[in-house]
Amino acid sequence: HSHHMGIYHMDNSTMPPHHHMTTSHSHGGGDMMMMMPMTFYFDFKNVELLFSSLVINTPGEMAGAFVAVFLLAMFYEGLKIAREGLLRKSQVSIRYNSMPVPGPNGTILMETHKTVGQQMLSFPHLLQTVLHIIQVVISYFLMLIFMTYNGYLCIAVAAGAGTGYFLFSWKKAVVVDITEHCH
Amino acid sequence: MHFIFSDEAVLLFDFWSVHSPAGMALSVLVILLMAVLYEGIKVGKVKLLHKTLESLPTATSQQLILETDQDSAGSSSPPVNRTHLRWFLCHFGQSLVHVIQVVIGYFVMLAVMSYNTWIFLGVVLGSALGYYLAYPLLSMA
Repeated sequence: HSHHMGIYHMDNSTMPPHHHMTTSHSHGGGDMMMMMPMTFYFDFKNVELLFSSLVINTPGEMAGAFVAVFLLAMFYEGLKIAREGLLRKSQVSIRYNSMPVPGPNGTILMETHKTVGQQMLSFPHLLQTVLHIIQVVISYFLMLIFMTYNGYLCIAVAAGAGTGYFLFSWKKAVVVDITEHCH
Repeated sequence: MHFIFSDEAVLLFDFWSVHSPAGMALSVLVILLMAVLYEGIKVGKVKLLHKTLESLPTATSQQLILETDQDSAGSSSPPVNRTHLRWFLCHFGQSLVHVIQVVIGYFVMLAVMSYNTWIFLGVVLGSALGYYLAYPLLSMA
């Protein structure tokens, strides 16, 4: 038997009862586009999650998926904060550029630009790039999970994001922002 | 799948089904306001953080840094406890705002996924309007 990613098998006995059609057809027929749910639903039967081998059929599996998605969303928030911290720590080179600009009364003012950056082939930048790829992939995974329109999984994404933000941003907000602003 | 101009769509929930031009116009307006709200919340979070940092006296802010590093809870005097509680409540509130931001962002994404061109234009216009209105507030002291 073959599995298609993201597309339900056309089997009338397992089709979820709340497929909502955007046209006036009441029966899905052979139209592939209508097989993905387009409205929120709460169900744990025959829920495909990202990969063809991950199909949820029981409440236990749904609970496990909920926890996994929750942790993934939390990890995503933590990764964002960690990357910010790494970036700040690795910014070593500061270049000052001064250039004359015309002032209000015909006077010449000196405008100074400060650029902070990393070297391209340095280890911090390569590490940032690898972490960026991981962050992009995880963010797309979370988007695809939300796209299943499954209410339980969507709540897991939102709750995980909130908890991750709360836990990881706590110390960062206290330590970093105070030292960066002149009080 | 491709973008289509249509007056029929079902957006996000079973009860939000659109059949008429008037319904579509109203739906585009709602999605537009959602996109404006999303941009506004992004700016609002930063302003909220600035406001709470300013309202904390510097001395207690330093003490907060030390205490979170050394994990010496329970040995603080009552004034610092009050500030800790205020900071905790403020951070909790910020996390709630973050959850709302995440949810609205995903809702707007799912609305675009309906592949309805009117909705998509509503999202683009709403984001532009929201950015235009909200970002100048960011650089205000």
